[in-house]
Amino acid sequence: MARREPSLFVRLFALMSLVLVFGAAVLMTAAWYSARQAADEAYDRLLLGAAYQIADAIQVQEGEPEIALPVSAFELLALSDRDRIFYRVLDPAGRTMTGYESLADPAAAEASPDKALVENATFDGEVVRVARVSRRFDDPQMRGDAVVIVAQTVEARQALARDLTFRSFILVGVMGAIAIGGTIFAVRRALAPISRLEAAIRQRDPLDLTLVSVSTPRELAPFVAEINGFIERLRARVELMQQFIADAAHQLRTPLAALEGQVDLLANDQVTPEGRKHLDRIRVRTGQLSRLANQLLSHAMVAHRERAVAGSPVDLAELTRRALDDAIPDTLERDILVTLHAPPAPLIVSGDPVNLAEAIKNIVDNALRHGAPSRITVRLSRRQDMAVVEVEDDGPGIAPAQWARVVQRFGAPSADGKGSGLGLSITAEVAAAHGGGLSFVAKGAVGFVVVLSLAIQGREFA
Amino acid sequence: MSRFTGRRVPAVALAASIGAALLLAMSLGAHSQTMTRFPAPGTPSDTLSIHAATDLSALAPLIQDFQQLTPGTTVEILEYVTNDLFSAAARACQEGRPLGDVLLSSSVDQLVKLANDGCAQRVDGPNLPRAPRWANWRDEVFGFTFEPIVMVYNRDSVPAADVPRTHLELAELLRREADRYRGRVGTYDVRLSGIGYLLAFNDARQTTTTYGRLLESLGRAQVVVRCCTSEILDEVAAGRLLIGYNMLGSYAYERMRRGQPIGIIMPADYTLVLSRGAMVPAHAPNTGLAGRFIDYLLSERGQGVGQSQSFFFGLDGAAPPGIEGPDVVTSGIARPITVGPALLAVQDAARRKRFLDDWSQSMIQSAP
Repeated sequence: MARREPSLFVRLFALMSLVLVFGAAVLMTAAWYSARQAADEAYDRLLLGAAYQIADAIQVQEGEPEIALPVSAFELLALSDRDRIFYRVLDPAGRTMTGYESLADPAAAEASPDKALVENATFDGEVVRVARVSRRFDDPQMRGDAVVIVAQTVEARQALARDLTFRSFILVGVMGAIAIGGTIFAVRRALAPISRLEAAIRQRDPLDLTLVSVSTPRELAPFVAEINGFIERLRARVELMQQFIADAAHQLRTPLAALEGQVDLLANDQVTPEGRKHLDRIRVRTGQLSRLANQLLSHAMVAHRERAVAGSPVDLAELTRRALDDAIPDTLERDILVTLHAPPAPLIVSGDPVNLAEAIKNIVDNALRHGAPSRITVRLSRRQDMAVVEVEDDGPGIAPAQWARVVQRFGAPSADGKGSGLGLSITAEVAAAHGGGLSFVAKGAVGFVVVLSLAIQGREFA
Repeated sequence: MSRFTGRRVPAVALAASIGAALLLAMSLGAHSQTMTRFPAPGTPSDTLSIHAATDLSALAPLIQDFQQLTPGTTVEILEYVTNDLFSAAARACQEGRPLGDVLLSSSVDQLVKLANDGCAQRVDGPNLPRAPRWANWRDEVFGFTFEPIVMVYNRDSVPAADVPRTHLELAELLRREADRYRGRVGTYDVRLSGIGYLLAFNDARQTTTTYGRLLESLGRAQVVVRCCTSEILDEVAAGRLLIGYNMLGSYAYERMRRGQPIGIIMPADYTLVLSRGAMVPAHAPNTGLAGRFIDYLLSERGQGVGQSQSFFFGLDGAAPPGIEGPDVVTSGIARPITVGPALLAVQDAARRKRFLDDWSQSMIQSAP
């Protein structure tokens, strides 16, 4: 047995989710990096701005550098209101004018320390961001670069980076949720034709050998074509087989008719009583055999017409009348009263008149053959959208235990050898093909009744 | 620098503890402070050491109420002037030595400088978010009072027509009535007092022309400079001084409430607002209790006690009755001095030296 594979839906959903989760992880990492960079850029500008403001406040008075730290520089830095601030101002001679002596000049080691720079460092045990700017003095008494170093702890930028990252996370999360929801919807929609095809095949009648005609997307077309190809081959086989049976039955009839004639001729001759007994048996068996051949042929014909003949309007009353004429042979040994009750208005069903006549003939034939000592009553009526043909006889009827079997082919060949076991099964098949069915009413107040119901509207059959 | 001679501790406020209060004169290096001990009302289990540059009489009701909440706590208060407290705390921090559990100072710029140098601890507590944004830096330095900076005058000796309403009016009064007010106006000695320096610095930033004229007028009027609000208020109450400039509103109001002939003016052009600062130093031995004390100061109960008995102004700016001048908060003239890193510029050594040089030149050298 083939290993059970996970469903297409689960496969698609799992794969798409995997891609989405991976994508979200990549996006979130990128968001975190860019948030950190954005926060650093924003606060670095403040840091540099403050450093420039302080550098601008350096003045040379009487040959000595002086500095009055601008409050505005600190207010600028105080925009990141939880961070500690460290600063140091160096005069062109490299002496500290004011601030934190231990704050190292980040550019001291560089060859040309004259440009502004911002970098990470540690001061007093804390991670800080350090900005360094220089200002050139060309006064006669004082030449050289004054240096301003401003450092700030990184709480505010971390908070900003966290905040930005968090917002990106929310965005990515919402996008992910939408994408997963969309995936579920899209996969369901995309797989819907498979379910439709499955339902169409599952709901088919086992005997239905028509082609599957569900519209499917291109990807499923090969499967449908394959199924239809299989159905075609099967149908060809079945037809071939029925054709064979019909041919065989037909071929049997000619020698059987000749055989019956020979037996009749022989009966006219003088035979011993012993010999007559044997002759009678031969006659009975020959009759049975020819009936079987007829019914096989009839069955093959019914089956063929079912597939091949389109329905047309049929007046059931007229059809029944003719069927009764055909079914009751003139050579019947006993007197029997056959009555037909039909409604005044014509009862029109859509179907194949030949098959329908065959079905009714089979019921009446069955009643004549198995009982019905003196009376057969046929009633036509209409119940809702069904036309009903009831055939009542005063014979012993069929035991309810047998009802299910008599409608199957060769289901219940009668014990006395009078039936072939095909008659009622042909009727049941025709009834089913006309959207109706065959049922029985046990002997009671009235006699045993066989009920054939047919859909008035008929049903479409190929 | 022993200037804590005459202590004025309100008899009523301290009645419970006066018998047990131990007044010790301690000598730590060059500084001298007085230490006051508030013994625990219950079984002593814990000691909270407060190093404060703030009036003991204002603190006492708060301490006693705090002890009701924590009966096992003995509280010791060491008093300083602001600059001494700052230098002691800075040195202790540098040497990694403890200096008390809580520092209280009106000179918040000094506390901010200490916190910036890593000498403060973060404090956590349910009531701390009650501090306004301008009165909390890094959850390390908290402002817990609202102190309008006012002008005071002697009600008996200054005619109503002379009472200045704005800074400019004061400058013009001193110029117009130079003889009457010469040597009879008092203000902080900004060289000694941290608050004085902080207030003068903010005056200078608030107005450039008015401050220059005021400085000139004060210098010409031979202004009397003192270390502390209390000394000037004493002299104004006694009539030796007529006007006190840049005084802490709560101290002045307390005098007025006691019936001293002191009038209080909130300047109508702008009124600086200072918040006394509280901080837990980095090496504090009893940080848990220190945190609870600062949380208490900002709690509804602590603020209620402060408003009714010590500082009279609510942290939201609610003013007590009897003060001249517009309501500072609703009229928009309040200029709170933000507790934050901008105060580091005030504390910059070079800047301070230059400011003090300018100030001394205007104020002192013009005096005879």
